[in-house]
Amino acid sequence: MLIKRSDGKAARQRLASAYQGLSGGGLDRRGFLRQAGLGGAGLAALGALPALTARRAEAGPTNFAQPITRRKNMCTHCSVGCSVIAEVQNGVWVGQEPAWESPINRGTHCAKGASVREIVHGDRRLKYPMKLVGGEWRRISWATAVEEIGEKMAAIRAASGPDSVFMLGSAKFTNEAAYLFRKFSAFWGTNNVDHQARICHSTTVAGVANTWGYGAQTNSYNDIRNAKTMIIMGGNPAEAHPVSLQHVLTGKELNRSNLIVIDPRFTRTAAHATEYVRLRPGTDIPIMWGMLWHIFRNGWEDKKFIAERVHGMEDVRKEVEKWDPAEVERVTGVPGAQLERISKIFATEKPSTLIWCMGVTQHTVGTANVRALCTLLLATGNVGAPGTGANIFRGHTNVQGATDLGLDVTTLPAYYGLDENAWRHWCRVWETDYAWMQGRFGSKALMELPGIPSTRWFDATMMPGERNKEGAGEAYVQQPDSYKGMVVFGHGGNTVTRMPEMLKGLEKLELLVVADPHPTTFSQISNRRDGTYLLPICTSFEMDGSRTASNRSLQWGEKIVEPIFESKTDYEAIYLLAKKLGFADRMFKNIKVENNQPLAEDLLREINRGAWSIGYTGQSPERLKLHMAHQDQFDIVTLRGKPGTPVAGDFYGMPWPCWGTPEQKHPGTHQLYNTNLHVKEGGGTFRARFGVERNGQTLLAEGSYSKGSEIQDGYPEFTVAVLKRLGWLEELTERERASIEFHFGPNIDRASWANDLSGGIQRVVMEHGCVPYGNAKARANAWNLPDPVPVHREPIYTSRTDLIAKYPTLPDRRGFRMPHLGVSVQNRSTTVVKDFPIILSSGRLVEYEGGGEETRSNKWLAELQQDMFVEINPADAASRGIKDGGWVWVMGPESQSKAKMKALVTERVAAGVAWMPFHFGGWWQGEDRRKYYPAGTDPVVLGESVNSITTYGYDPVTYMQETKCTLCQIRAA
Amino acid sequence: MRALLLTLALLCAAPAFAQAPAPFTTRDQTSAEELELQRALQGGTISGRVSIPDTKSGNLVQPEGENWRQFHNRTLYTVGAVAVCGVLGLLWLFYTMKGRIRIAGGPSGRTMQRFNLLERTNHWMVASSFIVLMLSGLNLTFGRYIILPTLGPEAFTTLSMWGKVAHNFLSFPFVLGLVVMFLLWAKDNLPHPRDLEWLKMGGGFIGRGHPEAGRFNAGQKGVFWITMLGGAAVAVTGYILVFPFFVTDIAGQQLAHMIHGVLAMLMIAAILAHIYIGSVGMEGAVDAMTTGQVDYNWAREHHSLWVDQELAKARTTIDPGAKTAGAD
Amino acid sequence: MARMKFLCDADRCIECNACVTACKNEHEVPWGINRRRVVTLNDGKPGERSISMACMHCTDAPCAAVCPVNCFYTTADAIVLHDKDLCIGCGYCFYACPFGAPQYPRVGNFGGRGKMDKCTYCAGGPQADNSAAEYIQYGANRIAEGKLPLCAEMCSTKALLAGDGDIIASIYRERVSKRGYGSGAWGWRTAYKEGVQA
Repeated sequence: MLIKRSDGKAARQRLASAYQGLSGGGLDRRGFLRQAGLGGAGLAALGALPALTARRAEAGPTNFAQPITRRKNMCTHCSVGCSVIAEVQNGVWVGQEPAWESPINRGTHCAKGASVREIVHGDRRLKYPMKLVGGEWRRISWATAVEEIGEKMAAIRAASGPDSVFMLGSAKFTNEAAYLFRKFSAFWGTNNVDHQARICHSTTVAGVANTWGYGAQTNSYNDIRNAKTMIIMGGNPAEAHPVSLQHVLTGKELNRSNLIVIDPRFTRTAAHATEYVRLRPGTDIPIMWGMLWHIFRNGWEDKKFIAERVHGMEDVRKEVEKWDPAEVERVTGVPGAQLERISKIFATEKPSTLIWCMGVTQHTVGTANVRALCTLLLATGNVGAPGTGANIFRGHTNVQGATDLGLDVTTLPAYYGLDENAWRHWCRVWETDYAWMQGRFGSKALMELPGIPSTRWFDATMMPGERNKEGAGEAYVQQPDSYKGMVVFGHGGNTVTRMPEMLKGLEKLELLVVADPHPTTFSQISNRRDGTYLLPICTSFEMDGSRTASNRSLQWGEKIVEPIFESKTDYEAIYLLAKKLGFADRMFKNIKVENNQPLAEDLLREINRGAWSIGYTGQSPERLKLHMAHQDQFDIVTLRGKPGTPVAGDFYGMPWPCWGTPEQKHPGTHQLYNTNLHVKEGGGTFRARFGVERNGQTLLAEGSYSKGSEIQDGYPEFTVAVLKRLGWLEELTERERASIEFHFGPNIDRASWANDLSGGIQRVVMEHGCVPYGNAKARANAWNLPDPVPVHREPIYTSRTDLIAKYPTLPDRRGFRMPHLGVSVQNRSTTVVKDFPIILSSGRLVEYEGGGEETRSNKWLAELQQDMFVEINPADAASRGIKDGGWVWVMGPESQSKAKMKALVTERVAAGVAWMPFHFGGWWQGEDRRKYYPAGTDPVVLGESVNSITTYGYDPVTYMQETKCTLCQIRAA
Repeated sequence: MRALLLTLALLCAAPAFAQAPAPFTTRDQTSAEELELQRALQGGTISGRVSIPDTKSGNLVQPEGENWRQFHNRTLYTVGAVAVCGVLGLLWLFYTMKGRIRIAGGPSGRTMQRFNLLERTNHWMVASSFIVLMLSGLNLTFGRYIILPTLGPEAFTTLSMWGKVAHNFLSFPFVLGLVVMFLLWAKDNLPHPRDLEWLKMGGGFIGRGHPEAGRFNAGQKGVFWITMLGGAAVAVTGYILVFPFFVTDIAGQQLAHMIHGVLAMLMIAAILAHIYIGSVGMEGAVDAMTTGQVDYNWAREHHSLWVDQELAKARTTIDPGAKTAGAD
Repeated sequence: MARMKFLCDADRCIECNACVTACKNEHEVPWGINRRRVVTLNDGKPGERSISMACMHCTDAPCAAVCPVNCFYTTADAIVLHDKDLCIGCGYCFYACPFGAPQYPRVGNFGGRGKMDKCTYCAGGPQADNSAAEYIQYGANRIAEGKLPLCAEMCSTKALLAGDGDIIASIYRERVSKRGYGSGAWGWRTAYKEGVQA
C-alpha cells in the first residue's frame, strides 16, 4: 500500500517546542519583508478574492504547539458509512484525517466525505431560529419559537385532530433521534410520520420483506469482494456510493469477476463494467423474466435451493413463459443474444449478487420490480452465502436506521406494524398505559390505520377530510380533517414529484416548521408570507449517536464539536417540543435529560429493550463504542473481529439481527439467511412470516436448516406455546419467566420471540441452534400484494403507447387514506406523448446529495457543479438546435410545468431519453429565488429542481413516486 | 406480405436505442504512454471533460509545453543574445572604424525646422516607453542569469514585478504613440525608387558623394516600417498575452509568446542601431528630435530633396515676421 | 532518498472528486483555484476513463526551467515547490507545464495573474514547517509530519497513489498483473521520462 508513515506525533512535538512562544508569522527575514509589504502581493492576492473564500480566524491553520484531539464520527452523506476522523483544537474542527482503521472505507472518502468539515464550519448554516412575518424573515429565540409552535399545534389539534399535523422526519437522524421522533409522533397521536425512505427504498423494503422476511441489504459492501458475478441494475454506485466501488472493483480484479451494468444510461459505473446493457426506462420486470426464461429453459436454476427454501416458483414459471427473447427485445430494447449471455453468466458463474438502487425502486411497479429481482436470486440459489445476495445500496446516511426505527406511516419502531399487539408491545417498552396512548389518537381505528406517505402530503392538504367530504367524490382523506400543519425535520422540499401541486399545498398550510441545519427549499419556494418557522438543528457531527449503514452495521459517532451558533441537537429540539405539548415526562420516563439534553445512550438502551423483531437488542452503546475503538481488528472481507482482541468473534457493527440481550454477546449477522452458520455465529434462515401453510402446501422450509439446528427441518416462529410443545419452556430462567408472566398475565402462550422483553425466548431458542423467527420458505408468490407474481406494467407516462393495452398499470383505487389513480392517468399518455416525446429520468451526481441544500452550501463541492443541466442525446439536440452548454427549457406534461437549465449533449443517454440530476433547487420556472432565503443562508449554487417537471405515478404498496420515467419536451431557450 | 409488414411495424415501434453498444472489456484500452508519445510527436493536447467552468483544465496533457520551454530557454535566448550583442558589437566596430559622421563642410549656423512639437513629444513618448518595455522584456529572458545573482532573490523579484507592471501599462502609450506616428509620418515613408539608389550607395559610404533623399531616407524608412509592422505584431501578441485565454487556447498563447519574443528581440536590435545613428553616430542628428531645428548644411547633405521642398514651401508662404535669407 | 511521485490508475478512478475536495479542505484552497482536478476522456462513451491530475512534480521540471525569477526549488524528495514571495505572476510556468498545474488568482490588471499556486504534494513551502505563515500561503505540510498527500490517502477506490515512485510503481504493476489489464500510468512518460515498468 502506501508507504507506512510515522504517526506524526514525534514530529509535531519537536516542532511544538521549537516554536513555543513565537507568534504566528515567525520573525525570519521573509516574514519581516512580507509584513513590510514588499512581498505583500502574495497575501494581497489571496486576500483580494471574493468574500466567500475569506478565511475565518477560528478555523485557521492547526497550531502544532497546542494539543489536538481526534474524534471519530461517520460521514453524513450516504449510507456506506465511511468513518471520519476529525482533528479538533480549542473546540474548533481544524482538519480531517483518513480513518485507516475502518473496515468499511479504510481511510477513503468521496468528494462529499472529504469535505464534511465545511458543513460544521457553516458559512451558510441556519444560525438562529427564524419566523416568517409578512414575507420577511425575523430572528426569534428558541423559547419564543417553541412556545408559538406548540400553541399552534395545540390549536390545530383541538380544531382538526392530531392527524392534521404531518411529522416529516429524516434519514439524517441518528437512530436515537429517529426513534425519538417516532415516539414523539405516537405520543402526539398520529401515524402520519414518514421520512426519505419513502422516496428511496420503500419499495425495496416492502418487496424484499414480503419475499423472505426482512427488507434490507442481505450481505454487505465488503462481502461483494467474494462475488464472481455482479449485476448492478438501476444503480450508479460510482456516483452514489463511491467508496463501495473500492470493494466492487477490488473484488472484480482479484476474482476476475463479471461486472454487468443494466441501466438506460451509460453511467460512470458502466464505464468500469465488463458488460453494459441498455434498457428502456421502466422495463425491469421484462429483463428479469427474460433472464429467467433462459435460465429455466436451460435448466440453469438451482433446483435444490428452490425445493428446500422457495414457495411458489411454479407461478413464476408461468409468467416467465410469456417473456421470450423477441417480446423482451420488443418491450425493453435489449438484444436477445446479450440477455442470454448475461443470464448464463449470472446463473452459472457463481456466487452472483444483484445490486440495485433507485432505477429499480422508483417506479409505479417498484415493489414488483424488487420482488422480481429477489425471485431471480432465489431461482439461482444466490441468497444466504458469501458473495451472493441482494446488495441493496441505501442512499442516505441513516435511512436504514430511520426505517428500522419506524419513521414510516405503516409501523411503529422495528416493523411491528400498527395493530393492537404492536401498540401494546411498545406501550410495555415505554412503560406507558395503553389506554392513555389510545386516547392520544382520534380513535382506535385511526391509531391502527397507516398514515399518508410523504410523497403525497400536499394532496392531503388540498383534499378535505371526512368531515368535509360532502360532494368531493373519492377526493378526500380518510381522517377527520386535511393537513393543517407540517413539522419537517431534516427533509428537503424539492424531493417529491409534482412540485407545482406541492406549492399549492405548501401555501395552504397554517403552520410550517422546518428544523434543519439549512433553511431548505421550503423556505423560499412558495408565496407563503406567514406561519413558517425555521429551527436550526445541528448535523450529526455535533452530537453523539449511532447510525446504521446500508449493510445493517451500527456505528457510534462521537460529537466532534458543540452545535454551532444557536443550533440544537435533534434530541433537545424534540424534548423542548414535547415539554411544551405536555407529555415530556411520560415520553422521557427512562431517558436521562440534563440541561434539556436527552442522553443518546439511554435512547439506544430503550431501543435495545424493545426492538426484538429485528434484533436491535444486542447492540448496546458499550459494545458499539468498543467496536469503534477497535475498528482495525476486523477482517476486511468477513467483517469478523480477530481472535485475541476485545472484539473477537463479533461482526463489525453487530449488523442486525443481533439477537438477545447485550450480555448474550451475539456477534450480529453479516450475511442474512446463511444456513452454513450456527445462529449464534450469525447464521439464519428465511423468516416464517406469512403463515405455516397455504393451499395445502407447506410454507416452512423442507430439509434446509441452519448449522447446528436441533430441528432439522422448517419450523414456525417461536412463541411460548411452541416452546411448551418442544419442552424447552423450563429452560427459561426465573427472571425471564417472571418478566413474561408480568407482561402477559396468565395467558403467557402468546408471548413470542418478538415481544418478550426479557430476551429469554430468543436465548433458549438459540441454545438449540434455532432461529427465533422460524425457518420458512421465501415466497416467489406474495399473495397479499396487488401483483402476487410481478407483472410488467408500463409507466404511467410512457412513450410506448402501443404497449399500454397489453401492459396497463393498475386500475384507479384507494390507498393510504386517499385516492390513487392509475389507468385514468396512464391513458393520457396517448395524447401527451405527441407533445412530450422524450423519456425523462433523473439521478445522482457524486458532488451533491439529496435535495442538495446542504451540499450546495459547501463551497468546495459547489464549485464542482455550478449549473443545473439536462443530459440530452446528440440526435435529439441536433433536431432541436441545442448546443452543448446552451440554455434550454424543459417542459412537463402536468401543470404546464417548465424549468430552465443548461444542456449537456452526450451519448451517455440514448436517443429519446433525457436525464437530470435531482439535487438542485432555488430557481423556479426560470426565476432565481435567491433573495427569498434568509440572509446569509442561501446555498452557493442554485438551480431548477427536476421535480418541478415530474408527474403523478405511485407504487400501490408504498406510494413510491415514479421519478425514473416520465415524459418531457426540451426546447432551446 | 402481412407478416413482413407486421415485422417491419414491430421493428419500427422498437425504440431507437435498441442497438446497445456491443460488449467491451476493460482489457481493450489505449495505453496512456502510447497516447502521450503520439501527441508529443504530432502536437496537440490530450483532453476530456471537466465539470468546473475553467475549460483549460480539460487538457489532461499538453506536450507542446515542452516545445515551448525549449523555445523560451534556447531559441529565444540565442536569438536575443545574438541580436542584441551582435548589434552592439557591430555598432561599436563601426564607431571605432568610422567614428562619428561629421557634417560635410561643418555646421552652417542656420537651422530649419524638421519636426514639430507634436512629432517630437510623440516620438519621445514612444521611445521612452520602448526603453522600459525593452528592459523589462529583456529581463524576463536574461534577468535570471545576469541580474539575479547580483541583486539576490527578493530585490530581483521586486524589480521584475515592477518591470512586469511597467511593461503591461506602458504598452498603452507605446501603442498610442505608434498610431500617432503612423498618422504623422506614413506618407513620408512610402517607398520610392530613389530609396534603391540610396541603398546601393550604402547611404553614402559606398562610392562617392551622398545619395539624394527626401524627408526620410531608405534607412529611416526601414526603421519606420520595422517599428510600425513589428510594433503592431508585438502589440497584438502582447495584448493576447496580457489577457490570457480570452481569445485563444494554450497553443495560441504559446504561439503569441513566440512571435512576441522573437520580433521584440529583432526590434530591439533595429532600435539600438537607430538610437546610435540618431545620437552618437551622427553629428547634428539628435537636434532633429530635441529642438526640432536641424542645421541647414546637415539637412542639405542628408535630405537634399526635403530641403528643396521646404524652401519651395517657404517661398510660397511668407511668414509676416520672416527675415529674408541672407539679409544683413 | 525516496523520489515522490503520483500515479492515477484510470481503471479505478470513478471521478468521485474526493482528491479534489480533500485538497481544498486540507489547504483551504480558494474558489477558482484548482490544484487538482479530474479529467474524463471519452465522456459518456465506452472506453470512458477518468484521471485525477495535479502537478506531477516532474523530473527536470519545465516550470522551474522557464521561470524568469527562478522561484522554484526541488526538495530532497524530488517534490517541486516554489516561493510565492518571489513569484511575479508572469504565467510562463503554465505555458510550459504539460499538465496545466499552475493556477493563478484573478487579481485585476486586465486578465492579470496573482501569485501562482499549485499542488505542493502537501509539502508546504519555503516557510518554516507547519508554521502559520506556511499554512496561509501554501496550505498544510503533511510531508513534514511524516504523512502523505491527502488526495491519495482519501481516494475512494485507491486509484490515486502517492509516495515513493518505486513503491507505487510496483503496486500498480502488481495490480495490473493480478487483474490482467491496465491503461497505463498517465503522465509518467512526460513527467518522469520513464514508464511504469521496472
